[in-house]
Amino acid sequence: MLELDDLTVSYPDFTGRYSLVVPKGALCAVIGPSGGGKTTMLHAIAGFEPVVSGRLAFEGQNLGPLPPAARPCSLLFQDNNLFPHLSAADNVALGLKPSLSLNGAEKAVVAEALAAVDLADEARRLPSELSGGQRQRVALARALAMRRPLLLLDEPFGALDPGLRKAMIGLTDRLRRERRLTVLMTIHTPAEIIDAADLVAFVAEGEVRDAGAPADLLRKGRSETMDAFLGL
Amino acid sequence: MGRAASLMPHPGLLAAGLIAALVAASLAGLSQAGGAAGLSAGSLPYLAGVVRGAALQAALSTLLSLLLGTALALALARRAAFPGRSALIAIITAAAVAPTIVVVFGMVAAFGRGGPLATLAGFAGLPAPPAIYGLHGIVTAHVVMNAPLVARVMLGAFASIPAERARLAEALRFGALDCLRHLDGPVIRREWPGLAAFIFLACFTSFAVVLTLGGGPANATLEVAIYQALRLDVDFARAAAIALLQIALALLFVAGFGLTGARLPDAPGQGRMHPRPDRAGPSLLILDVAVIGLSALLIGPVMLSVLAGLGRLDALASPEVREAAAVSLVLASCAAIMSVGLALLLASAAEAAPLGRASPARRRLVDLSTLALLGLPPFALVTGLFVLMRGSFSLTGAGFVLVPLVNALMALPFVYRLLAPPLRQSAERHGRLAASLGLTGIARLRIVAWPVLRRPLAAALALAAALSLGDFGVIALFGGGDLITLPYLMAERMGAYRIDEAGAIALALVAVAVGLAYAADKV
Repeated sequence: MLELDDLTVSYPDFTGRYSLVVPKGALCAVIGPSGGGKTTMLHAIAGFEPVVSGRLAFEGQNLGPLPPAARPCSLLFQDNNLFPHLSAADNVALGLKPSLSLNGAEKAVVAEALAAVDLADEARRLPSELSGGQRQRVALARALAMRRPLLLLDEPFGALDPGLRKAMIGLTDRLRRERRLTVLMTIHTPAEIIDAADLVAFVAEGEVRDAGAPADLLRKGRSETMDAFLGL
Repeated sequence: MGRAASLMPHPGLLAAGLIAALVAASLAGLSQAGGAAGLSAGSLPYLAGVVRGAALQAALSTLLSLLLGTALALALARRAAFPGRSALIAIITAAAVAPTIVVVFGMVAAFGRGGPLATLAGFAGLPAPPAIYGLHGIVTAHVVMNAPLVARVMLGAFASIPAERARLAEALRFGALDCLRHLDGPVIRREWPGLAAFIFLACFTSFAVVLTLGGGPANATLEVAIYQALRLDVDFARAAAIALLQIALALLFVAGFGLTGARLPDAPGQGRMHPRPDRAGPSLLILDVAVIGLSALLIGPVMLSVLAGLGRLDALASPEVREAAAVSLVLASCAAIMSVGLALLLASAAEAAPLGRASPARRRLVDLSTLALLGLPPFALVTGLFVLMRGSFSLTGAGFVLVPLVNALMALPFVYRLLAPPLRQSAERHGRLAASLGLTGIARLRIVAWPVLRRPLAAALALAAALSLGDFGVIALFGGGDLITLPYLMAERMGAYRIDEAGAIALALVAVAVGLAYAADKV
């Protein structure tokens, strides 16, 4: 279980104060208006934002004092997830050893992760030789290879066309079920994730304003702010 | 009307034709004045030696400038806050824009026999440091001039590494070597070829530094050989032949560089900047302190030596200095306007596209042609043109026309590099929209290009003016009488051992150059 208890991030122009509970193995869709603090929340969980106060725990372990590399999470961005001079396989291998000097077992892990995202045949290709969807699948493969139980996706499929986006959400959902991953995914169009998500968190003005099951949260009349955001 | 418009050549092509015609006229003038003698067989071994020596000197200068400048940029990127960081960056900026003659002055003042280094050695009872004249002096001066430029460019390039990638590096436990390999390596591979080509050409054709610090013909460049042929031997044909040789070598070099291709920068990152993951760790801290210390010791004394001029600021009020300042200002303004105008025309010709999308091959050709201008020997160019004009103009009168013209051409590669990328970006973003709306000419310039060009244009004007203001090249041929610029006057004062007055002029030149750079940055 992931717990955010009044987790506070403060900047001169922005303050985020987040409280949220996500059960283990759940897929939580994080929605809300642009600039509302969704990305800041994910970055705070990953350890990239200085937390002023509050508590952050995963499976009972306090993550607050841990540096990003020691946290049990992988973070995928919308862009720049891959190093452009490295092949797909090397980009995945970075998750295991930055020196890229892998032994046989580690190479097998890389191959298995690429196979899991249907990219076994593209292992030697550079990012510039891959499509947008394939690039994000390589980043997903790296997260799988790292075997961290908490997957944070910061609008990683936002630049893809709708069909591909749907396929990527389906792939993410399948992988999290197979590997018992807890997933937080920010998304702009809630309708695309309504079938896969167990939980939806609505973030606005630096707070989790509302959270609940998709069918419950995304109905008309839940709140004025939510209705305005959904255009209902 | 459409047919008439399609028959009309692009103004940029006319500008390119004008530059080519000037070069051709100059070479014709040189050959005509000197007859067909050209190079004698006896001078070939000497010239081969000059080319070999200049290439070695330029390669050494380039390598050391790239290494020191990049190491300094990395150290400054890793150490975002330390006492004196702002002062060091100010000194680097001043050194990057300082006129060559000022750097020469600073080298002599800081590292010469009467400089603080020699004085300290004397106090400590140590042997005096070696004289600064010779290959090591030239290379050191070139490094002092170019390493700061590399540091400024690379600091900006490292800052453009997407924040996401820095976060990823931290999450993946990147060590110092991993950061160098995966974060900085691609940036270095992208930036170094262009910087190396530029620095190599600048050092290969160096004049003022080689003439003053060369210590004899053993370290001459072709530029100095042309100067000697013109000024000492008055052998126009020889100057023309050497000029042709230099142009051929520069074109060969630029063509070779053109084959390396260009690399695209990364997609811009999102979110707040993230500190570099290799900022912690004692070994890199020691390395960074050493690099920053070495840079400060090398560049600092040269730039700070101009502060000696503070004691003789009254010298700036003399009528000679005021007149030289006025002449410099007029010449620099004319050169800046001409250079920016030509660069703008060439850059817009590179982007001209009837169907809204420019041809990459044409862009590359224009890019490389402007870079090739760096290889043009200004002395040969200006002398050839003077030969054609001498029936109608006095030496001074011709100088008033030719000095700003040649300064404008010499500044063109730099100015073009400032103006072409934003114009290209605007063409890529809005070219098809502009074409579909029928926007052409002034309307297209005002609506599509002006918003992205405003700042670079100011920077380009300031840079061209600063380069012309500090030029001590062709003015060495035409200077005297009514045509005395500040660098010319400064060189005269140095020659007459009026070092304090030379220092005051150097200080004024650096202050104006830094002021122009600062103003351009703030527009």
